[in-house]
Amino acid sequence: MLEAINLHKSYRRDAVSVSVLRGVDLAVREGEFLSVIGASGSGKSTLLHLLGALDTPDTGEVRFEGRRVDTLPARDRERLRNQSVGFVFQFYHLLPELTALENVLMPAMISRGILRWLGTRGAVRKQAMDLLDRVGLSHRLHHRPRELSGGELQRASIARALIMNPKVLLADEPTGNLDEGTGAGILTLLRGLHSDGLTIVMVTHNLELTLSTDRVVRLAAGRVETPSNPSLRLLSPAC
Amino acid sequence: MYKLLLGWRYLKTRYLALVCVISVMLGVATLIVVNGVMAGFQTKLRDRLHGVLADITVEGLEFEGFHNPEAQMARIAASPVGKYVAVMSPTIESPAMLQYQFRGATITKMVKLIGVDAQSRAAIGGFSEYLQDNDGKPRPASFELSDAAKFRLDAFRAPTPPAPLEGLPTGPGEPPAPDNWIHEEKKITGAILGHGLAHFRQPKPDGSSVEVYTAEPGDIVTIVCPGGGKLTPEFDRFAVAGYFRSEMSEYDCGLVFVPFDHLQRLRGMQDRATAIQIKLTDYSKARLVVAELKNIFSPHLYAVQTWEDKQGPVLAAIEIERGILNVLLFLIVGVAGFGILAVFSMIVVEKTRDIGILKALGASNAGVLGIFLGYGLLLGTVGDVLGTGLGLTITSYLNEIEAFLSSLSGQHVFNRQVYNFATIPVDIRVSNVVWVNIGAIAVAAAFSLIPAFKAARMQPVRALRFE
Repeated sequence: MLEAINLHKSYRRDAVSVSVLRGVDLAVREGEFLSVIGASGSGKSTLLHLLGALDTPDTGEVRFEGRRVDTLPARDRERLRNQSVGFVFQFYHLLPELTALENVLMPAMISRGILRWLGTRGAVRKQAMDLLDRVGLSHRLHHRPRELSGGELQRASIARALIMNPKVLLADEPTGNLDEGTGAGILTLLRGLHSDGLTIVMVTHNLELTLSTDRVVRLAAGRVETPSNPSLRLLSPAC
Repeated sequence: MYKLLLGWRYLKTRYLALVCVISVMLGVATLIVVNGVMAGFQTKLRDRLHGVLADITVEGLEFEGFHNPEAQMARIAASPVGKYVAVMSPTIESPAMLQYQFRGATITKMVKLIGVDAQSRAAIGGFSEYLQDNDGKPRPASFELSDAAKFRLDAFRAPTPPAPLEGLPTGPGEPPAPDNWIHEEKKITGAILGHGLAHFRQPKPDGSSVEVYTAEPGDIVTIVCPGGGKLTPEFDRFAVAGYFRSEMSEYDCGLVFVPFDHLQRLRGMQDRATAIQIKLTDYSKARLVVAELKNIFSPHLYAVQTWEDKQGPVLAAIEIERGILNVLLFLIVGVAGFGILAVFSMIVVEKTRDIGILKALGASNAGVLGIFLGYGLLLGTVGDVLGTGLGLTITSYLNEIEAFLSSLSGQHVFNRQVYNFATIPVDIRVSNVVWVNIGAIAVAAAFSLIPAFKAARMQPVRALRFE
């Protein structure tokens, strides 16, 4: 469903070029729950951004449902991010001026003009409220992000990622900023979504979280490696 | 929809943006107030200028004027544009000296002496409306003295005429000495003096002032003017019949009206006039009438002008002044624009991560641009609405505000003696208000463009990682 072929990506810091990804090959199957692990700075988040068409690789290809997406025009990439990919970030990234409900509605608003929005507002609003109910935030609909706890913020963020019924959910350390108990709750929520058929790619450095995923890959030195740690019994090759 | 929602939320939550709103508001309010007052002055001045002047004037360019004004008026009436002529009145205008006694002192002033037929000149307009007695009450368009004026004239008339002024020609072959000519008159003719010629304001210890009349109805004044042909000085004594008060100091301090036929005789201009005043039935035909009259009256001997032509430089000066003032005052809105630029740049930096989020959610560059452009427009619109409200409120209560400020400062903010207006004139024109509003919104939008472009061009990943 989602494929990375020989991805290279480097960043320029001052006059120095830092190579982050050096030929990453990865395939994510439909309905799969994949974990990507690696040390800090190994390029996990960069890989996720490239897979979600948030960024473009220096070389290599990103394919979504067989179609190359890294060379698509900006407008198509925007539509892809809006309608096919859901993002969940470590720091939640909710818009502080909006309520939880409005944050969840935001992707739907972006996808519609004013007239179409006014025509479908009721149905979309109900869908957003159902999603917030599913993530356990039905009592926090009209609360601003500053009034929510870390766990609640991440739940709202997941609801926002699901509002457009994406085909794949890209989660960048979704529990990285949460305590153990709250993180476990978020993982349970993601597992539930996966069991409903959603494809999930989760970046984490918490090995315990990977135990409940279908497959784990590790990024090291800018490449996908087969894990050597025997305790990671589920770690498997990239493809 | 999200652009509107975010723009509105930013407006409500970013108090820094209020600085922009207040700047635009003050700029708009200032422009509306100044434009209103300037337009008020302009309208009042135009009304007064037109009020005193006839729609069209046919003036003889020669010093002795032109012959047979009745025949000239008949030519006008018989012309193709005669149907547009409502009333005509011949006049004689001449420079003159006015002299009278006040508290033992001799007061002498340079004046413009105008001989008019009171009835027809009143029909032209801009004459009888401005005539008044010393108690401020309107008086009829006539040179007849009121009973009180007659009483004063009889009671205080000097038993002997004043001695002829030095330098007057009295030799053989010269016109008769003015005093001899006066003695032949059985009664003294009335004259209407410009109000400013016959009074002054005397300040009182408490800061207020009182009007003191230097020549009251019934008082005798002496007028010396050149003869109609040979520039010989002629003089006569007149009794003050009333005052001309148009509240235009140029006229109130310079005009003296006397009967047309009397001035004809005084200047030796029998059957002659220097100008014909014309009132039209429809002023919109003025250009047509002027063009036709220029065909009838030779441009070498006559000047045919509308009142606007005669006062062209004054009206043009006011228009230019207003234009320049508008440009200068619009700089206030320009400064507000730079405020918007500065504040918006800060807000875009502050909102960098939000921009990254929106792009991650699928917002386009145009969408992000729209958020900040819409935000700028919203700021401009809110500032406009508040500024328009403030400006209109100030103009509505301008005189009350002036009175309050005067009482606070102890000095007149608006000196009525200077302008001769009882109140500060205000004329709010909808078109002006609309243009000010459009200009302010355009400035707000223009100055928010640069930060909006900067926001739109942000790389989403870099924006998300911004700290």
